[in-house]
Order: sequence, then C-alpha cells, then structure tokens
Amino acid sequence: MRKLISIREFPIFVVFVLFYLTAGLGNHQIFTTSGLHDILFGSAIVALLAVAETLIIVMKHIDLSIGSVIGFSSYLIGKNASEGHGLFFCMSIGVGLGLLVGALNGLLVAYFRLPSLVVTLGTLYLVRGYFSQVVGGDFINSGQVPKLLTSMATHTFVKVPLLFIVSLIVALIVGLYMRNMRSGRDLYAIGSNHSAALLAGINVAHRTFWAFTAAGGIAGFAGAVLLARYGQAQANSGLGIELNVVAACVVGGVAIAGGVGTVYGAIIGAILLQTIVLALGALGVSQFWQGVVNGALLIAAISLDKILSMRSVRTQIMRKVQHD
Amino acid sequence: MQEVLQIAGAAKRFGGVHALIDANLTLYAGEIHALLGENGAGKSTLLKSLAGVHQLDAGSIRLFGRDFNVSGTRGSQDQGIAVIYQEPSLFPDLTLAENVFVGRQLGKGLKVDWREMNRRAGELFVRLGVPLDPSRRARGLSIADQQIVEIAKALSLNAKVIVMDEPTAALSGSETERLFGVARSLRNEGAALVFVSHRLDEVMELCHRVTVLRDGATVATAAISEVDIDQIVKWMVGREVSELFPKVASNIGETILKVEGLSREGQFDDISFDVKSGEIVGVAGLVGSGRSEVVRAIFGVDKYDSGSVEFLGEKLKRNSPGEAMQRGIAFVPEDRRQQGLFMPISILKNISITMLKTLSNFGLVSRSQELAEGEEWSRKLQIKFNSINDSVDRLSGGNQQKVVLAKWLSTRPRLLIIDEPTRGIDVGTKSEVHRFISEQASRGLGILMISSELPEVLGMADKVLVMREGRLVGRFSAKDATPENVIAAASGAN
Repeated sequence: MRKLISIREFPIFVVFVLFYLTAGLGNHQIFTTSGLHDILFGSAIVALLAVAETLIIVMKHIDLSIGSVIGFSSYLIGKNASEGHGLFFCMSIGVGLGLLVGALNGLLVAYFRLPSLVVTLGTLYLVRGYFSQVVGGDFINSGQVPKLLTSMATHTFVKVPLLFIVSLIVALIVGLYMRNMRSGRDLYAIGSNHSAALLAGINVAHRTFWAFTAAGGIAGFAGAVLLARYGQAQANSGLGIELNVVAACVVGGVAIAGGVGTVYGAIIGAILLQTIVLALGALGVSQFWQGVVNGALLIAAISLDKILSMRSVRTQIMRKVQHD
Repeated sequence: MQEVLQIAGAAKRFGGVHALIDANLTLYAGEIHALLGENGAGKSTLLKSLAGVHQLDAGSIRLFGRDFNVSGTRGSQDQGIAVIYQEPSLFPDLTLAENVFVGRQLGKGLKVDWREMNRRAGELFVRLGVPLDPSRRARGLSIADQQIVEIAKALSLNAKVIVMDEPTAALSGSETERLFGVARSLRNEGAALVFVSHRLDEVMELCHRVTVLRDGATVATAAISEVDIDQIVKWMVGREVSELFPKVASNIGETILKVEGLSREGQFDDISFDVKSGEIVGVAGLVGSGRSEVVRAIFGVDKYDSGSVEFLGEKLKRNSPGEAMQRGIAFVPEDRRQQGLFMPISILKNISITMLKTLSNFGLVSRSQELAEGEEWSRKLQIKFNSINDSVDRLSGGNQQKVVLAKWLSTRPRLLIIDEPTRGIDVGTKSEVHRFISEQASRGLGILMISSELPEVLGMADKVLVMREGRLVGRFSAKDATPENVIAAASGAN
C-alpha cells in the first residue's frame, strides 16, 4: 500500500477517481458503461500523442509540431486511400511524414543545439502552412476513409473502444522501452542532468535525435487514429491539439523540468482532462468554463508536484538527521 | 611498486592562454598522490585531459605502459580512470543504483535488470561502509553521500586510477574522516588515487607523495615524509609577487565602510573589519570559505542574521542593494556572465544601464549623452571593440570584465566591492585591470577585493583579510602578508 502511494502517478489517479465520482453524482449518465466508453473514446488521440510527447518532455525538451503532423498525416492517409491505395501504403505515408518532421526537429535540436520550443513551433507552423496549401478546400469524407479504420472507431473489446486500445498498446511498448532499455533510461538521464549525462559518456545528441524522430513517427501514426475517429479530414484537422497534449503530460506527472514521469501518467492525464470536458458538459457548464477548469487543474498539478517534491526532500533530510 | 600512470610533458592551450606547459605526473599502484597548486596552476586542465574531456596539444599519457589516447569520457572510463569532480554530477531524478551504472546499466541483451543493479549497488555501498538505499532517488542526498555514490561508480568501473578533485571542500569533520577511511581501503586494494585539495594538513595526513603544479608546469614531486608544509607552499607560490603588480601610491583617508559582528547562520560568523578611502582591502581564503557570502550580505543581495554595516557614518539598510547603490557602493560579482552582464545587449547599453536615471530627461534617455559617457569610459579602461554597439558576448573575458567595471564606476561610487576581478582573464589584460583598480584607489575610492589568486591579493592589497570556514582568521598589513602566512591561515595549517 505504501509503495502504491509513493508512485508518482498515484495522486493524479486519485484526483481522477474523485472527479469521476463527484461528476457522476450530478449526472448519472457518466456512471454508465457508455459514459466510461465516451471518456476513453474521446481521450484516445490525446493519450496517444501524450505518449510521444513523454519521450520528449522527459529529456527536458518539448515538441509542439505534433498537432500539425497528426492533421496532415490524417489527410494524407485519407487522400491516398480515396485514390485506391492499400491501407498499409497509406499508413506508411502518414508515419513517413511524421518520421521526416521528427527527424528535422531532432537534427535542429540535437546537432544544431537550437531550442526545441522554437524549432518545433517553427515546424508546427511550417507543416500546417504547407498542409493548408496542399489541401485548399479539399475534404476527405467518411466514404473515402478506409473501411477498416471506420470500423475500428465503432468496435470495442471488453467494452473498451478499440481506438483507446491502440493507444494503450503504443503506450505499453514505449513504456517498456523507457523503463527497461538502456537507451530509454538515457532519456531520463539527459533530462535530469544534461552535463552529467555528457560526462557519463552518454551520446546525448544521438539519443535526442532519435527520440524526436520516434515522437514524430508516433504522431504520424496517430493521424490514422484521428481519421478513424472523425471519419473525415480537412485543413484544420488536429489544429491546436498540441497544447492539450502538453497539458495531459504535465497533469499526469511528466515534469516539464525533465527527468521524471511515465507514459502511463501521461495517459491518465489525458483521461482526466477528457473526463472534465465531458462531465462539465453533461452538467450543463458552458464550454468556456471548461477551459477555466482545465487551466486551473494544470496549475494545481504543477503546484502539487512542487509541494510533494519539497516534502519528500524534507523527509529524506529529516530521516538522515535522525540517522546521524 | 607498479607504475600505473605516467603523464609526461603535457601541454594544452585555450586560445591565447597556456593552461598547461610541461606537466608531469607519475602514479604507482597503492598510493594516494596529492596534486597541488594555486588556482589557475593547471590542475583541472590536467584532470580533464585524464578524464577524456580535453585532448592534450603535446605530451604523452601512458597507462600501464601503453599509450592512453582516448577522446570522450566513455573511453577514459573504459580504460579504468574515474574522475570525481568537485561538484558531484549525479542525476537527481534517478535511483542511486542507476546513478552508479548510468550509461552502462546492467542487464541481459537490451533489457535492464533492475534487481541485479540494486543488488550490486547495495553491495558497493556496504563495501564502502555507507549502506545507502540503492532504490532511492539521488535528489536531496548530502554532498558526502553523493561522493560515496560517485566512488561506488568508480568501483563499479573497476577503476585503477581514481581522481578526487577537492572532495573535502564541502564536508564536515566526521564526513572527511569517513572519506579518508574509504580512500585508504581503496589504496590497500591496489588502486592509485589522486587527491586534489587546498587543505595542506589533510594532504600531510592522507597522502604518500605530492606533485606541485605552478603556471602549467610540474615544479616538484616528492614523498610526503620528506617535505613539510613550508616547502610545499614555497613550491606553490614560487615567484616574486611585487614584480607583477606595479602599485600606484595612494593616500589612505578616513574610514568609509565599517562592518561589525556580521553573522549569518551556516555561512559566516562574527565578521568585523573596515575599509578606508583610497585603501584596497584584499580578502583571501579557499573557495567556499564564505567570502562571497559576506560581501553579498554587505551589498544587500543576501540577508544577514546579526551585526551591522555602516557606510559613510550611517547604518546601511539590510537586504537592500538599491539603497547600497544609491549611497555609493558598487558591486562587481564573481560570475560576470550570469550576474554582471546582459549578454546579447550592446557594450554601450551595458555600460549605461546603471546611469539611466542621470542620463534621462523626463524619462527619455538622451542617446547622445549616453554615447558620450560610454565612449569616455571605454577610453579610460581601454576596452577593445569594433563598435560600441556590438553585443558584449563578442568580447574576450578580459574586455567583458572591463565593461562590468565601467558600468559600475560610471556611477562614481565611493566603495567598490569586487569578487574575483581577474578570473579567467589573460595575463596582459589582467595587469591592465590591476593598474586601473589601483589608479581608482589612488583617487580616493575604497576597494574591497575578494581574490583566490594569492599573488593578486598580495600585490594589490594594503590590508589582507583571510577567511576560513566562515570566520575571519587572519589580518595582515601589506608588509606582513607573505604567501606563507596567508596560505597557512587559509588552510588552517598551524
């Protein structure tokens, strides 16, 4: 039990349960399986992108370009499918786009030492701009979306939406990588103490480059999920989603200062934010107030984190004093 | 005895500065070897070459009789060299076990074996006599325990050469004893240890042999049993100070700064002294002895618990740098890049920033007046630049320091507090800065100068104060301040 409480993701999970219960008392709809289904279904995309973002934030970097990548990728997948190409080919195009943008980010951040915030803000605009130019007024409608994708959006497995399961599988893979593989552990080391990572002989630039590339690839893959969920794609698909993703990570305990956090936390963060949106909506609270609540939650999350980390240092010191 | 490491004729240049000219060092298995020298003698450069951070320009390093030629810290570690830096470089968010094995985590194939890593790290901690919990995170660990983790890392690397750079600087007495115990047991197991310290009494207690570096060259290597502290100090200082610092004669006037019983818990205790107009007061002592903390408290950047600061006959408000400035105190901090300059901004703007009030009419800064003032000060200080509108980060370290000086002196202060005035500055510019400071004193400015470079303190100051572990332990007039006296007081060797 004690071990459970000390897990970093624990408080956010408690907040989620509390919020879910309170909201449920006001509107019983949320308690039904369809209420739960809606929450998971709605959070699948942000959750998947949050997995990619965790790779980056843990290194004390940030990737804002994912919002444009996911949008452009979903359009490219739909467009190619409508021209009669197979799903595998279409997916390769989408993932390929993500890898390309990710590699560009990685190159500029890792080898040219440019700040990731600016680099990825740049590629966010760049990709979105080019995307809009290519699309113009074009529109992928549900008839053009590959059947396999549309059917994924409607099917469930043990009542869990398939789209969310896709996100979970990716999270599991990335989670195992980050916890159990040397190169994954290096990402934490880089974010925790950059100069010490260099002194320890970690190839920081190499790791940084590949993490950005992988994050881009996941965002490209997420394009298919976006297309499946909405059954359509257009010039503003995925617009602005990157900030929701960063918020989900931070709420889920992935420290913006680097070095700590897991993909599981990021997913819980995504679910919590989605729960708030749905619950407030069901309670009849206006959309604008939902933004206020989300913002307050974000600030509460980092404040809580600060307080908790200060306390844990203090108890360690106290323990040491008693020891001596 | 088996020879482990031999460095011969090591030379390294950074731009125009010769950090190493002819450094030699030989280590035997099972010895603790002291590497000594003043700040700037080249110790860190030598250690960093060993660690694979720097590449030597000339000279050779041989490890077990074979040429040691690696680039990068990983290569050096693989060859069996572990360097423990003065500032431990742990990862606060990772567990202790992972800190020990970082970059080469244990496991089969690609998978990390956490259990094995915890077990092995736990064993190492026990072997070092400090049973830390390997699964806890490094954040909040005391410096002493952080060093234990670093030593465990060295052991896990099977290091044959373990370098400790001023390991005791931040340790208490009992922690130092513990570290020495660990060092001795490593030695008994056949490792060669390099011990860098400014505390000569510790060197005498712990080490077998000593090598002294001065101005980038090895001046002596000897068995500790055959030398005494006086001899070591002579090797470290070894030059006539007066030649380097032509001091301008100055009329010392009335007292302008009077500090009485200044204390701050854990930082400094019962500090009293005064500074007169036209006088240069030098503060010597080891890094970490509390000198910077005292002057920061006087200027008001930090608080103090008790005591008083009187300036020009009136008490100075505590913790108010704004008032200190207004009353005529200028403060040039230690780290000019972080605290003294506004980096991407132009030279002119950096100089004029402290004068904006006097330069402006109705809140608007007069460009022409600003330019005139800026040019006047750059001329006085001989700042070398292409255009005064260039960004300051394009200047050399020495010229940057002149900009900082210009910025503060243009406020026409009565007292200048300056922390490490010539750190990292080339020799030529150094003497220009010295001459300028001395000239200012001759015009009646009182100067309080912290310096870790002994020749600088001895050559410039009219009065030398020495601090050790937060206390003022020595006061010497310029006449009595010999290198031997000052080093003895600073390192507690008597």
